[in-house]
Amino acid sequence: MATYDSLFSSLGLEQWCSEGKSSGPMSMADLLNKNKGESAEPASIWELPFPSMDALNESCAAFPQSRELTKGLEQGFLAIKDSLSLVLDPLTQPLSWFLDGALYGMLNTPWWIVIPLLLAVVYVVTKSWKLMLFVGGSIVLLAFIDHYDYAMQTLAIIFVCAFLCVLLGVPIGIAMARSNSLQRMIIPVLDMLQTLPPFVYLIPLIFLFSVTESKLYGIAIILYAIVPVIRLTNLGIRLVDKDVIEAADAFGMTPRQKLYKVQIPLALPNIMAGVNQTIMMSLAMVVIASLVSAPGLGVLVLRGIRNLELGVGLVSGLGIVILAVILDRVTKASLARINVSQKQ
Amino acid sequence: MAKNIKISIRNLYKIFGPTPDVALEHVRKGMGKADLLEQQRHVLGLRDINVDVHDGEITVIMGLSGSGKSTLIRHLNRLIDPTAGEIRVDGEDIMSYTEEQLRKLRRERMSMVFQKFALLPHKTVLENAGMAKDIRGYTTSDFEADARKWLARVGLEGNEYQYPHQLSGGMQQRVGIARALVSDAPIMLMDEAFSALDPLIRSDMQDLLLELQEELKKTIVFITHDLDEALKLADHLVILKDGEVVQQGDPQEILLNPGDPYIVDFISDINRARVLRVRSVMSPPDDGDATFAGDISEKDNLESVLLKSEGDMSLNFRVVRNDQHVGTLHMKDLARALVPTAASADRNKNAA
Repeated sequence: MATYDSLFSSLGLEQWCSEGKSSGPMSMADLLNKNKGESAEPASIWELPFPSMDALNESCAAFPQSRELTKGLEQGFLAIKDSLSLVLDPLTQPLSWFLDGALYGMLNTPWWIVIPLLLAVVYVVTKSWKLMLFVGGSIVLLAFIDHYDYAMQTLAIIFVCAFLCVLLGVPIGIAMARSNSLQRMIIPVLDMLQTLPPFVYLIPLIFLFSVTESKLYGIAIILYAIVPVIRLTNLGIRLVDKDVIEAADAFGMTPRQKLYKVQIPLALPNIMAGVNQTIMMSLAMVVIASLVSAPGLGVLVLRGIRNLELGVGLVSGLGIVILAVILDRVTKASLARINVSQKQ
Repeated sequence: MAKNIKISIRNLYKIFGPTPDVALEHVRKGMGKADLLEQQRHVLGLRDINVDVHDGEITVIMGLSGSGKSTLIRHLNRLIDPTAGEIRVDGEDIMSYTEEQLRKLRRERMSMVFQKFALLPHKTVLENAGMAKDIRGYTTSDFEADARKWLARVGLEGNEYQYPHQLSGGMQQRVGIARALVSDAPIMLMDEAFSALDPLIRSDMQDLLLELQEELKKTIVFITHDLDEALKLADHLVILKDGEVVQQGDPQEILLNPGDPYIVDFISDINRARVLRVRSVMSPPDDGDATFAGDISEKDNLESVLLKSEGDMSLNFRVVRNDQHVGTLHMKDLARALVPTAASADRNKNAA
């Protein structure tokens, strides 16, 4: 006898209940109960269980247990998995090529080419000798303590993923800025991507793609890091001065001219703020993604945790901090340059 | 001066709200702005506007904020579409224009100057001035000479490679005017173009506009809330109130014969001597025995005549246009014209 027997009998469902038999595997609690013998009926209203799926199942065997929900989800996912990966696999294959190519390129080009090249890029985007010296010093420090390869792997992954985030995110943001209904549809998705713990969407990705392929962590990073660039592109374009848009209309600009000559240039400070955020979030994710075989400094962090190698963990953690500071400073400095030229 | 009608607006209505057509019926039956808002939840923007804009003249549309003047000027290039009515430019009904035709109209036949300048902040002054040409597909080298010429004409020589934020408000608006001039459009729409500038600079800009107009003879539609500015610039003055035309015509005429208490209020505290001109108060030439204290032009304002007469109210002046005697100004008439409007309404009553 269970608590909600009377509910089912009053509804006249006893027949249905006794016919069906929940197919869920036996839970530990069931097993314990069985061993103890007949479960005692709750003595008072104080112990009345919430009419949850499991509680109802006790009274009516045909009623599904809650574990069948998770099992159902899993089976559903497995059922569509093959056809899903049939579509997604070739679609995302270029990502693997990009990542492998970038990693190969970064590691197989001699350091005396890569480091000056990076510094040149820093100077071009920031026009600041001081910042360039800082970046140079940091990289030399990392290289000196033999973390050069790890740091370059991490950087290569970030470059590829952040570049793809911008490539995909800016057009999505522009489309969102142009259509209110699209914005209403996309914002919940972005909210979900931003709040879902990254570990959670690593799980289905592992099912979909092979762990040996680099696109697995690539996708995880892009999904996590694309949100700010979409949001801020959308915001930036929506915030473009209405008066300037009106002037563009009054002088007869086509929608395309308006986009390229007015909206994107004027939204650029916001878009660049989004790019900065995207790069920082890629860095955060590339560490977590080492759980699914992403190379780089994250691997060392993981080793530190797994083997309790305190020193390894601390040094690689410090390396990540240095990379974060470099990336943040450089993108902020280039953002500041854009802001100066755009002052109204 | 019988000039061609460049833009004609006929029975123009604009109602803001979800179902303007339904509200339009109520407005046509005579519902007022306040009632419409209260009962129908629609805002009456413009009601039954009929205005002709003549070729080569400055038409000033004046009204306080909320009177619908900015809404009206945006109908001329269809930045806002009317609820009902007709707008003709050069005799063509622009309401029937396709998007492509409309774009051509905006690119080649109309230019616009904005209250808040609306320059592109990431472009240089030169590129901003050439914006209209750039939109039409010309390269910077094509329009550079033109843009430089007009920038110099509005007094911005040497600022070509600066960015808008490096210029003061007055200079930014000069760029705005140069931008409109470089487009070579015969019609210039100016939406409170000088309202954001401080008074001295505003006066400079008005002089600049009049000087340019003397030379270029464009068709200018100028929006303002400032009566002094309106009287200084207008060849034809349209006064709007709550979306309706209260009075329109020659500004001198409106000043001497205000047709509405609203306008009387409006003009009660302006300097009449500075605004009124001799031609508005002179009498026909009487070749009789009058002795003239001197010659004055019909375009002189009364203030300069007062100065000439040194306050002597018994004098008469001969009014000349191109050395021809076209009228006589009796100082007594001048004094009468200077009587403030509140009193002039009384005088009309006595005369009647």
